[in-house]
Amino acid sequence: MRLRLGVAGLLAFAAVGYAQQVGNLDAPPAKPKSYVVYAAEQQSVSAGKRSVLELHFRVVDGFHVNSHTPKSELLIPTRIELQPAAGVKADAIEYPAGTSYSFSFDPTEKLDVYSGDFTVKLPVVAEAGTHTVDGTLRYQACDHAACYPPKSLPLQVIFTAK
Amino acid sequence: MKRSGLVLSVMVVGVALLLWAGWHNLRERKLAMRQAQENHVVLVPEKSGAATSGSAMQPDPQSPEAEATQMRGKVAPAFTLVTLDGKKVSLSDFKGRPVLVNFWATWCGPCKVEMPWFEEFQKQYASQGLEILGLADDVDAGKDAIAKVAQKTGVTYPILLTDGKVQKAYGGPDGMDYLPMSFYVDKNGVVVEETAGLGSKDEIEAHIKKVIASGAAPSAGGQ
Repeated sequence: MRLRLGVAGLLAFAAVGYAQQVGNLDAPPAKPKSYVVYAAEQQSVSAGKRSVLELHFRVVDGFHVNSHTPKSELLIPTRIELQPAAGVKADAIEYPAGTSYSFSFDPTEKLDVYSGDFTVKLPVVAEAGTHTVDGTLRYQACDHAACYPPKSLPLQVIFTAK
Repeated sequence: MKRSGLVLSVMVVGVALLLWAGWHNLRERKLAMRQAQENHVVLVPEKSGAATSGSAMQPDPQSPEAEATQMRGKVAPAFTLVTLDGKKVSLSDFKGRPVLVNFWATWCGPCKVEMPWFEEFQKQYASQGLEILGLADDVDAGKDAIAKVAQKTGVTYPILLTDGKVQKAYGGPDGMDYLPMSFYVDKNGVVVEETAGLGSKDEIEAHIKKVIASGAAPSAGGQ
């Protein structure tokens, strides 16, 4: 009886596994939601004084995004749009310099890109207290052989002014 | 004596039959070889980093290669779009001819690499009815920017302005996830090959030869 139950259980498990495998074959492939990751972190600045906040990003391995100053007017630059926040006066955002990159199939065309980690600086003068600045990182990514439509990454800059 | 003569006759007839069968088989084989050569398609081996071409390889689900299996074997979705000159062009205008439907964008570097190749192949295979349509998948770029890129790449085949619907019809609910994307539509309107990302020039030519040679009846389950 136990043996029969065990065999039946094994058969059921195998059937479920097979059905799942078939399901996987028919399922659409998983797509990355974003090619850039924002590493949010709590920061502290001096109240009433000009201070610089750092926004840390990481481009997913195998991809690159155009820098803020790509070498062609047709390319979409990486840029941040911030919403106004009460008690926070933000200056012009400081973007890092990109690195030179060429596609292997077109070495003559030099691009200016971010890959791996990059940091954007946000100079602020803030009143004492905890602040949240909402914004969006707009970017356009490519890999070695394909490009991906422009994307928007929502972000929050949370900091305390003491 | 009579019996041995009969046996000898039967043996002669048997040998003659065997010889005739051998000659007939050889003739049939030669005919089949000639027909196969006429429909010959160069199959280029996959290279890492190149666009997919319907091989048995399992693509990385995170890559464009994984995307390029959605439409193969299905009827190409119909569309009517406007060219840069304001002329209406429909896919059905090219019924009975092989068509390469290529999605590209002004911000897509790899797209601009293959466009001059398409132009070359358009001329090379024009006598076999090949038509190439470039569909600009640009949301923000204006007509002038699209025209500028088309001019810079030297293409003379029709560049069509997309309407949002065609991207969904070919790319899914979110439109095109990757560019470039190309769909090789045969004489019967069936997508025989689909590629995502930039492939080599040889691969593109092999797909063009395949779509020209193809003319099978549309399979069920098309759109």
